[in-house]
Amino acid sequence: MMMSAARALLARDLRMLWRRRGDALQPALFALLVVVLFALALGAEPQALAKVAPAVLWLAVLLAGLLALDTLFRGDAEDGSLEQWMLAPVPLWWLVLVRTFMHWASSALPLLVATPFLGELLHLPHDQLPVLLASLALGTPLLSLIGAVVAALTVGMRRSGILVALLALPLYVPVLVFGAGSVAAWAQGLDSTGALLLLGAGLVVALVLAPLAAAAAIRIALS
Amino acid sequence: MSYLPYVIAAYCVFAIVLGWDYVAPRLQVRQQLRAAKLRVMRRQDTIPRDLEAPLTRE
Amino acid sequence: MNPVVRWFHQLGSPPYFDRFASRWAPWAYVLGLLMMAWGLYGALFVVPADYQQGDSFRILYIHVPSAWMSMAIFALMALYSAIALIWRIKLCEILAMACAPAGAAFTLITLLTGSIWGKPMWGTWWDWDPRLTTELILLFLYLGVIGLYNAIDDRRAAARAAGLLAIVGVALLPVIHYSVTWWNSLHQGQTISLFGKSHMDASMLPPLWWMVAGTHVWFVGSLLSRARADNLRRESGKDWVARLAGATQ
Repeated sequence: MMMSAARALLARDLRMLWRRRGDALQPALFALLVVVLFALALGAEPQALAKVAPAVLWLAVLLAGLLALDTLFRGDAEDGSLEQWMLAPVPLWWLVLVRTFMHWASSALPLLVATPFLGELLHLPHDQLPVLLASLALGTPLLSLIGAVVAALTVGMRRSGILVALLALPLYVPVLVFGAGSVAAWAQGLDSTGALLLLGAGLVVALVLAPLAAAAAIRIALS
Repeated sequence: MSYLPYVIAAYCVFAIVLGWDYVAPRLQVRQQLRAAKLRVMRRQDTIPRDLEAPLTRE
Repeated sequence: MNPVVRWFHQLGSPPYFDRFASRWAPWAYVLGLLMMAWGLYGALFVVPADYQQGDSFRILYIHVPSAWMSMAIFALMALYSAIALIWRIKLCEILAMACAPAGAAFTLITLLTGSIWGKPMWGTWWDWDPRLTTELILLFLYLGVIGLYNAIDDRRAAARAAGLLAIVGVALLPVIHYSVTWWNSLHQGQTISLFGKSHMDASMLPPLWWMVAGTHVWFVGSLLSRARADNLRRESGKDWVARLAGATQ
């Protein structure tokens, strides 16, 4: 039952994504713009850019994901599908988890693919790239899961953009700290596996708890 | 160095913020009670007093 | 029925709570104020100056109790929210949301007094000290709860949503603190904590305890006062509110 529901939801989301496949590139374009703006604001000196490259890339991915959060539940909230989710025979948290996974795959994976290219723009030292990608691979699903809880709390609110950002960013702090910090530790010659393991542990916990919290939030918002 | 201005500044911050914390809810309560009173008065104005009297402009 | 249990049930009645809060809040404010005044008198005039930090360490007597209150109130807010979400008790929704502004106020005091204390100590108004940074993020969490509560029209759904956010926040707060501490050690090499564990002489402690107790009692007054205001707002159409406002029909 749960697997067939998951398959149905994934198929539907993929079909919707395919119909507006241009939209899937928007987070990556936004991240590119953020990188460009940082480079313009900081000046083009390669050493200066290389020093801040991992942090800027992390922020670009984080902010792009934050903007993409709006589309997580909005479409279904507007046409009433979200209420159907609440009535479905499968648990609401399962549907939330499947939707969040699909959203992450469509918004964060292009960002991950774009990261090496964006890194070149900022003269990111090549030996930092693997750690950066690992931290992003662990961090972006975590950001999506935390973001899903915040999106669920504000679902149905018109013009909630800034509020979502204000609510989500403090909760994003640990992920950003360990994510960007793992690369910074690597750059300093320290061991980065500790930070990466913490991100992994956080991801495991979030996989269990975040869908439950988001489901509770949806029930509150649509009550 | 003289720490006096800093100590005074810190204690003033404390006093001002706690003062706001005291005043704000009192203002809210007063506003709510005034709004309730106005609501009742408005409702009373719409109650027709004499149903037999002709509707007239004079 | 057990009188204590009956009193709990009675508190759930909005008019009864209004009478209770309006009666006891002033006493809590006055008692809290007296305790804080006694503590601050001791902090300013009785305690000798610290041999390292001079008179500026007298700011500690405001900074530390406020920091403790900012954390304790957040935990209490999350607790009230959990009770409200699980058992759907309306009064706990009101109490949870009434905690937030006072908690934000204490957090603001902590940040500002920390900054003012830091100027003569470090020479700058701000340093990314782990504890101050965590306090700053805590302020954002408080403002988020208040903002979310104000953004939703239906008061009950708003309180439940903001309460869920408070619970998420309280669960993440230790993680945030840990991550910021780790970040600080990573980027500074050595944890130099400004407000480190200064071994305070026992003679310096009593005003601190008076301040801690005083801020707690003051908070009770603030909580009751704001809860009363929210209660009136939720019940605004009802007869008992109209009668209380002095409007006769």
